[in-house]
Amino acid sequence: MSEGSGEIRPAWTEPFIGDRTGLVRGIRLDAIDRAWAFDGGTGAGVRVAIIDSGLERDHPALGGRVVESIAIELGEEDERVVPDEAGDLYGHGTACGGIIRTFAPEVELISVRVLGADLKGKGRAFLAALDWVIEQGIPVANLSLSSRSESLFPHFHDLADRAAFAGTTLVCAANNHEGASYPSLFSSVVSVAAHEIPDPWTWFHNPHPPVEFGAWGVDVPVAWKDGGSIVATGNSFAAPQIAGLVARLVGKHPGLTPFEVKAILAATASAPTGAA
Amino acid sequence: MTDRQDPSAALAAIAAVAARTEVARRLDGRAETALLQGIVDAAAALFDAEAASIALHERDPDRLRFRVAAGVQGQGVIGVEIPTTKGIVGYVFSTAQPIAISDVMSDPRFDKATAQRTGYVPRAIAGVPLIDGETCIGVLQVLDKRSSPTFTLKDLELMGAFARQAAAAIEATRVQRETTRILQAALRTIAAGEVTEETIDAALAPVIAELDADAEDPFWTIVDTVARIRGLGERERALVAGIIEVAARHASTSVRRPYRS
Repeated sequence: MSEGSGEIRPAWTEPFIGDRTGLVRGIRLDAIDRAWAFDGGTGAGVRVAIIDSGLERDHPALGGRVVESIAIELGEEDERVVPDEAGDLYGHGTACGGIIRTFAPEVELISVRVLGADLKGKGRAFLAALDWVIEQGIPVANLSLSSRSESLFPHFHDLADRAAFAGTTLVCAANNHEGASYPSLFSSVVSVAAHEIPDPWTWFHNPHPPVEFGAWGVDVPVAWKDGGSIVATGNSFAAPQIAGLVARLVGKHPGLTPFEVKAILAATASAPTGAA
Repeated sequence: MTDRQDPSAALAAIAAVAARTEVARRLDGRAETALLQGIVDAAAALFDAEAASIALHERDPDRLRFRVAAGVQGQGVIGVEIPTTKGIVGYVFSTAQPIAISDVMSDPRFDKATAQRTGYVPRAIAGVPLIDGETCIGVLQVLDKRSSPTFTLKDLELMGAFARQAAAAIEATRVQRETTRILQAALRTIAAGEVTEETIDAALAPVIAELDADAEDPFWTIVDTVARIRGLGERERALVAGIIEVAARHASTSVRRPYRS
């Protein structure tokens, strides 16, 4: 349901008759390679939302590319989107932003803070953040966090579907633990786990979901709090590698749908380790 | 519900039960600590680490408190409280995502205040969440493997197994302990005076209020456990039934509103 846009498109035959202009994409999977997808891309003009602990605006790794910072404020009955001056409470959001900029240096970063002080109903804040990102028409969002709440499952599912139809590619860190986590398990998102090959341009496609992509996430040098840097390991550092690739891709090829983005990521993935 | 016949014998029995639940509560606390200590000892030994520790979440105020630690370098951390918005441990708690970091010392601006307070500043930290059902209840952290400057993905996975043990131990003793607290609060009131719906309500209010502070608390698990208490006499069972009734009424009025109407 695209309730935000006020427009609900029925699933009928209209798009397939007449001049069919809406169907012309000019993309042939067999013609896609890394050069076509990524060469010369800078992420210029592409907004990327980082749903995390905030962004440190003046951190050198972010190169002054933070264009907006908001936080979700939780009331008793509602969630409000408010401007955020808190910066990055942990350093983690900044780490993700820095990784994204290694692929797409001219990207426009949008900080959506859902972690930190006074955010008890984190699941609610997370949902409100996703809702906002979709409403804003932001084409890429990095989610290095997820919710385990079964009661929020249908809401996450609804939002992930809305994102897919609205053209927002959600790049989610896979959960390292037993049990479900949302929205990283949904087919409508790009889910990412870590591999240990120290190369940002090595990523794998896994034909056996739910985790569909593997990216560098072990001993990654990353930006951190207070202008600092550390070396970090975890799926939450693998997701922004893929989010950065997506930003570079959609910057070079505007208008790609999340479904096409995922197909292109799979088509350009590295050969499996041990394969010819 | 009130039974005014032979009050002295009944009150003596109830007072005895209250005393025993107090002892049980303390024993439970010790058993939990011993289990958690065993887990961090094993984790420190397995990873050949300088230290390992477990911090558990506490409410009012919202914070993480280090409960147990292993390793000579780890002892200073016991009892230290940190905000959930700070540091690696706070991040792992807030996101329930395991992470490991290293080269902490290479950056002079890294916030070492808490680490220095404990007398040990690590070079590398790995943290994994303690998950109880849907909720993160704490963090297991391991500091500085002697054999390697960093932690691997396999290390994080293995730590996850330790964290599951810890969470299971905590959950088992907590359900028992909180059940005990509910009973105890009710029994104290009864021992002090008459049993009416109002006194039960008053005795339960603070306990229930605390449970409600976290909407994901498995409150009904506790109620079920209370319901399963078979060893009590008829009068006490009536009391338990009263407790459940009041709790149920309270719970039914505080069901969370759905996210989107």
